[in-house]
Amino acid sequence: MSENERNAESAAEKARREDSTESVENKKYRAWLRGIVSALIVFTSLYLLQRLLVPKYVDDVVEGAFIAEYYGEEKDFDVIFIGDCEVYENFSPAVLWEQYGINSYIRGSAQQYIWQSYYLLEDTLRYETPEVVVFNVLSLQYDKAQREAYNRMTLEGMEWSPAKVKSILASMSEEEHFLDYVFPILRYHTRWSGLSGTDLEYMFGTKPVSHNGYYMRVDVKAARDVPKGRILADYGFGEKPLEYLDRMRELCAKKGIELVLIKAPSLYPYWYPEWEEQVEAYASAHELRYVNFLELQEETGIDYSTDTYDGGLHMNLSGAEKLSVYFGRILSGEMGVPDRRGETELSLSWEEKLAAYEAEKQEQYRYYGMKQ
Amino acid sequence: MKKVHKKISKKCAAALLAAAMLLVTGCGQAEKTIEGSVENIQPVDITSETESGQTENGDSKPDTDRGGAAGPDQGPETAGGAASDGYLFTADGVSIAMDADAAPILERLGEPVSYFEAASCAFEGLDKMYTYQGFEVDTYPAGEKDYISTVVLKDDSVATGEGIAIGDSLEKLQQAYPEGKLQENGMIVCEKGGMKLCFILENDEVKSIEYRSMALE
Repeated sequence: MSENERNAESAAEKARREDSTESVENKKYRAWLRGIVSALIVFTSLYLLQRLLVPKYVDDVVEGAFIAEYYGEEKDFDVIFIGDCEVYENFSPAVLWEQYGINSYIRGSAQQYIWQSYYLLEDTLRYETPEVVVFNVLSLQYDKAQREAYNRMTLEGMEWSPAKVKSILASMSEEEHFLDYVFPILRYHTRWSGLSGTDLEYMFGTKPVSHNGYYMRVDVKAARDVPKGRILADYGFGEKPLEYLDRMRELCAKKGIELVLIKAPSLYPYWYPEWEEQVEAYASAHELRYVNFLELQEETGIDYSTDTYDGGLHMNLSGAEKLSVYFGRILSGEMGVPDRRGETELSLSWEEKLAAYEAEKQEQYRYYGMKQ
Repeated sequence: MKKVHKKISKKCAAALLAAAMLLVTGCGQAEKTIEGSVENIQPVDITSETESGQTENGDSKPDTDRGGAAGPDQGPETAGGAASDGYLFTADGVSIAMDADAAPILERLGEPVSYFEAASCAFEGLDKMYTYQGFEVDTYPAGEKDYISTVVLKDDSVATGEGIAIGDSLEKLQQAYPEGKLQENGMIVCEKGGMKLCFILENDEVKSIEYRSMALE
């Protein structure tokens, strides 16, 4: 073989090696690409399944949607309510706006425990600093969560933040798992057999179900035969709720927010005189304003034969509007919460909200066959 | 190279299959319900014979003067699907077991003095309270039925199956219920058959007596 032939063969061999190396690299690249695409398909499928399977809270149990609705708001509220059903069923931000120009929002949820209220306050303060925070004291009676479903309705609606993580950790029972909150599909996988058209319709978005956190009911069921509370072995509030009340008070003080404690005029669950004494003593010791609406029936004009829709547990629209008129006078007149009806943009936003409020009112009156 | 692709495809398929199985089978967990009424509650299957009026030692201590107790010799009428392993309260010849079907019991007890119902926040179904002379019967909803959750003795016109009534002394209570355990909050609790019989005392005198289901805890 001549030198030229040898050189040509060597060059060809080199080219073959290079081709072969490139081919191996290409194949490796393609394999990685397929792996990534496959992983993306798996994760996307799981995400879509999760979106499909989680409860949407738009039909029957709408209370589970309240917490998340706040994040869609222009967050510039002067008054924020936090607490359980005794806030979201008993006060109407629409009336506070109409009558006093108070821009308020209720961050309420079903059986919201005080540690959840505290972390919702922390969460709210990530976006805004209101002038007044109103907390309903009924939840002081609980030192542990009573039911996972209630935890879910408060915690799942929160956007991810350190406050949400801490709230989950403070709320979980021994049977619950943190990962189930991170990946709700782990919790809701068994819902597949009970899926409805609603799950598909609201897979990626929901409809508003509250009016700035207020849950409207116009129907009437008079209160009667409301039982007194049973005798308790210990009337003292637990360490945990008192610790979170302290933290709430301290956080408000640090941010220059006035914390107002209230007890809504709900007749049941029973509000014990021993509990009342403790709240009064706490408010007095820390110079907090405390309004017990149970003692203000005459002043508020609440009539338990017409102003409740479930026998005295929660106010109906009529009751909530009466309470709001009374409480608005305190917020506006005594506490100096500003009248913002002169702000064009905010007024326009409220015009839309009031229209929706009025529309639902009329719809409910029709549904219950009532005259306004 | 084809082998590599096959391996990746197999891994992906396995992952998808595992995910699907996880979703469909529920990872072997018991099914839980988030929406709807009271969840995760399975009424106790009540199938055993009645033990009304018996202590754990088997002694019968009826206190018929108070009209609330009935020993085994008296053959108390049971309602709501037979009897329970737990303590029973008997009134007007009707024995009431915790977690029993409420309908037949309420039917036999007749018209209550008063009735109150409370909807749980955000859930369908009602907790119901029926007040009779001297005692109150509470129920909880599960599925289509209501079940007994609590019986509260209101005054000394009724007594437990072992003869203890409001106003009795601590000494008498301890004799009737030597198995009772003192809790941190001062309550004396007797636990049996998935229910609790709770006594609250003040100055060594019984102030409150409650039969409680543990299904709601």
